[in-house]
Amino acid sequence: MDSSVTGIQEPFDLIRLSLSERVFVKLRGDRELTGILHAYDGHMNLIMSDVEETIMIVDPDGATNGQGVVNVAKRKMEMLFVRGDSVILVSPPART
Amino acid sequence: MSSLQGYVDRRVLLVLQDGRAIVGVLAGFDQKSNIVLADSKERVYSIDEGVEEIPLGLYLVKGEMICLVGEIDEEIDKSADLATIRAEPIPPIRYG
Amino acid sequence: MLIFSVFKTLTDQQVTVELKNDLSITGVLKSVDQFLNIRLDNIKVADETRHPHMMAVKNCFIRGSVVRYVQLPAEHVDTQLLEDATRREAMNQNKRQ
Repeated sequence: MDSSVTGIQEPFDLIRLSLSERVFVKLRGDRELTGILHAYDGHMNLIMSDVEETIMIVDPDGATNGQGVVNVAKRKMEMLFVRGDSVILVSPPART
Repeated sequence: MSSLQGYVDRRVLLVLQDGRAIVGVLAGFDQKSNIVLADSKERVYSIDEGVEEIPLGLYLVKGEMICLVGEIDEEIDKSADLATIRAEPIPPIRYG
Repeated sequence: MLIFSVFKTLTDQQVTVELKNDLSITGVLKSVDQFLNIRLDNIKVADETRHPHMMAVKNCFIRGSVVRYVQLPAEHVDTQLLEDATRREAMNQNKRQ
């Protein structure tokens, strides 16, 4: 699609157009979030609501083939500020 | 302005990025949260033994090494018997 | 600037600050500064039996750089206002370039 149609000229435009939508956020330390995006700034500090966090915990002793077992922990938070220096990527909702 | 002003001349607990816990009297600080601690002692925590206090004297701690500064309630601190406390050290900051 | 302003509106509210060392501290937000350093009063550390290190600490200063999350009181956050302010700030940023 043409950038004049989507209104996307630079990376942050993609985040701006995701305001009030559910986004996927990947963080350092094997953490992921989904939630509704309400605010961001140039450091990629975020404020999100209705957040579900997924933490991947690798247990190196858990498996027999030396691969390790990945345990997944989930929790929900109503309203969350996320500091930008932990953010790896922000992905907008899938468009239909 | 959230500052360390209220902590000057008070006994504080300093938690560093590497997980070390240091108590002392906050003698001074600056804009970058560099901190001067007087009469400081490191509190070394372990699971097998009680807390060990190691005298350090006058310390200047660089702001970027600091995780947290807490004001110590002398009454509560005195009533706690360090020799009986067993705990893992505070984990280091990851991805700081 | 925007996020700093949001935190200022939440002064005297209860928040939970989660640090990058997995320590989780709940307390009343007393102040913030432009680095998002945070002053908390009346603090409680989650899982105190495993973390007795701060037993005698009732209020603290947390360096902004070690914060992973801050859980905010949803009823005191106006999400519509936030989105409008974010769009406005994004526009100003673009104009300056």
